[in-house]
Amino acid sequence: MSQGATLTPAVRFTRVCKRFGETVAVDGVSFDVAGGEFFSILGSSGCGKTTTLRMLAGFERPDAGEILLNGERIDELPPWERPLAMVFQSYALFPHLSVARNVAFGLERRKLPRAEIDARVRSALELVRLDPGVFGRRSPRQLSGGQRQRVALARALVLEPPVLLLDEPLGALDRKLRKEMQAELRALNRELGTTFVYVTHDQEEALAMSDRVAVMAEARIEQVGTPAEVYERPRTAFVAGFLGDANVFEADSGRTVVVRPERMRLLRPGSAVPDGLSSRQGEIRDLVYLGDREHAIVGVGPVDFRVALRDPDRFEGETWRRGDAVVVAWRPDDAHPLEGA
Amino acid sequence: MRRAARWLAAHDRVRAWGLLAPGTLWLLAFFVLPVAIMGAYSAMERGLYGGVEPGFTLASYARFFDPLYLRILGRTLWLAALTTLLCVVIGYPVAYAIAGAGRWKHALLFLVVLPFWTSFLVRTYAIMFLLRDSGLVNSALLALSLIDEPLTLLYTPGAVLAGLVYGYLPFMVLPVYASLEKLDPALLEAAESLGARPVAGFLRVTLPLSLPGLVAGSLLVFIPSLGAFLTPDLLGGARQVMIGNLVQQQFGAGRDWPFGSAASFILMALVLAVVYVFLHRGAGALPEEVE
Repeated sequence: MSQGATLTPAVRFTRVCKRFGETVAVDGVSFDVAGGEFFSILGSSGCGKTTTLRMLAGFERPDAGEILLNGERIDELPPWERPLAMVFQSYALFPHLSVARNVAFGLERRKLPRAEIDARVRSALELVRLDPGVFGRRSPRQLSGGQRQRVALARALVLEPPVLLLDEPLGALDRKLRKEMQAELRALNRELGTTFVYVTHDQEEALAMSDRVAVMAEARIEQVGTPAEVYERPRTAFVAGFLGDANVFEADSGRTVVVRPERMRLLRPGSAVPDGLSSRQGEIRDLVYLGDREHAIVGVGPVDFRVALRDPDRFEGETWRRGDAVVVAWRPDDAHPLEGA
Repeated sequence: MRRAARWLAAHDRVRAWGLLAPGTLWLLAFFVLPVAIMGAYSAMERGLYGGVEPGFTLASYARFFDPLYLRILGRTLWLAALTTLLCVVIGYPVAYAIAGAGRWKHALLFLVVLPFWTSFLVRTYAIMFLLRDSGLVNSALLALSLIDEPLTLLYTPGAVLAGLVYGYLPFMVLPVYASLEKLDPALLEAAESLGARPVAGFLRVTLPLSLPGLVAGSLLVFIPSLGAFLTPDLLGGARQVMIGNLVQQQFGAGRDWPFGSAASFILMALVLAVVYVFLHRGAGALPEEVE
C-alpha cells in the first residue's frame, strides 16, 4: 500500500494493562497518536495517565498489550533504546551540570563530535528562547521555574525525537507563564512536526493546546476526540463533568442528556419560547460571578441547572435576581445523550 | 517569666549567644584549653619523670624527623589511606543498596549502626579471637587441612587494616547513604530517557551527586584512622605502631611529654592539611563549568 507510511500512527497502544500489586493502574488502554499530532491524556490524579506515559517512555513495563512507535514494538526496549525524549514534571535537570551540559547530555551519550554538540546545544537553547551566551554556563539552581522548564524542553528537543513526552510540565508555573508556555509548546509542535504526547490534569490546558484529547478515569480511557468533540459531545457523565460545568438530566425522551451552561438561556415566564426549543420552568437560586461570565443556578424541581448568562442579556439591561421565576430553554441539538445512563 | 520570654524573643542576638554559650564553654574548657597546654608543652623541656621543665625548645619537633618516626608517620598515612579506600569500595555499594531497599531501608540502617551498641574495645578483642594462631580462622583452615601450621594473621598490617575498616565502615556508609537517599529518582530516569545506559547513568549522575557524601565519609574515616591507637595496639602489636601509639607511649612509659605533644601537633597539622585539600578539591570538582 503506497499510503501505508502515512497511515502508520506515531504511537499506538493496544489493550495495554499495568497493575501495581492489587491496584490496576492501566486497564486495557488502546489509542493511536498520529504523526505530528499534539495528543493530550487528561485525567485526575491516580487515573493512570502518568503510568501510561511512563510505559511509553519505558520506565514501566506493561503487563499485557502492545506499544508501537512508528509501527515497531517498543514495549520490550529499555528507555535508553527508545527514540523518545521526555520533559519531566519536576524538570529533573542535573543539578551538578551547567545548562549547556544538561542540554548536551543526550548528544554526549550518542558520542557526537564536540563541535556538532556545541552547535546543536546552542540552537536548542535559542529554540526555547534562552540566550546560550547568557544561560549556557549557569547552574540550573540559578534559574527561575520558567527558565528551568525551557532548559528541560531544550534538553529533550535537542535530540530531535520523533515523539516528545511531557508529564504535566507546566504544573509548577504561575498562570500567566503557563499561558505563555502553552502557546510556545503549541508553536513548537507545529514548527518542528514533532509528535507531542502531553499528560495533564488541567482540562483548560488540554482543550487549549491539543489536537486530540484522551480523557482517562479509573485506569481506562473514557473518550478520545478533538477538544470540541469531548467538550461538546461528552460520551459519559464523567467526561461531561471533568471538562467543565455540565447539566446532566433526564430529557423528555427518557434518555439522560448533557447540556453545557452556555448552550442554555433564561427567559421570563410568560414570554414566548422560540419555536423548537426545549424548556423547563424554574427559579433562580443563586448567581455565581466568574469574572469573564456569570452563571445562574436555577432550581428545576429537585435538580439545579447551571445557565450561563449571555452578554446580550447584560447589555440589554436584563437583570436577573435571586428568587426570579424563569424558564430555562435550550435547542434539542445541544442536548447530547450519554452512554450507559 | 512571660516578660522575660518576650524580652528574649525580641533580642535575637542575646538568644543566639544564650544557645551557643553551653557548647562554647564546654569546648573552651575541654578542647581549646588542653590543646593550648599541649602546644605549650610541645615547646618545653622534658621532665625526668614525665611532665615538663620550663624553657623553650623546638627539639621535640626536630626529633620527629628521625627516620624511625618518619616510618611510623608513613605507615600511619598509608594505613589510613588504605582504610579509607577500602571503606569506599565496601561501603558505597552497601549505601547504594540500602538507599534502594524501599521499605527495608530502616531495618538495614539499624543493622549498620548496631555495632555501636557494644564497646569498640570488646569488638576489637573479638577480632583478636578470630585472627590469633589458635583462632577461628586458623582452626578452620587446619581442620580442613588447607594449611599445616597456623598462619600469622594477628600483629600484621593486614590485621590492623581489617580492624580499622571494620570499625569505621559505618562512618562511610551513613553519609553516602544520606546523599544517595536525597537523589531524585527522576534524574536517573531523565538520564535513561536521554540515552544513558545504567552504567553511564551511574557515572554521570549518581556518582557525582553522591560526591558530597563520599567526601564527608572519607574525612570521617581518614581522620580517626590517622589518630587510631587502640586498633593498632591490639591487632598490630609492637611492630605495627601508628602515630596514635607513639603519642600514647610518650605520655606513658616513654615519659616524654614534649615529644608526645609535638607528635600530636604534627598529626593535627596533617589532619588540617588533608581536610583543606579534600574540601577545596572535593568542592571544586562538584559544579562542572558553572559560573
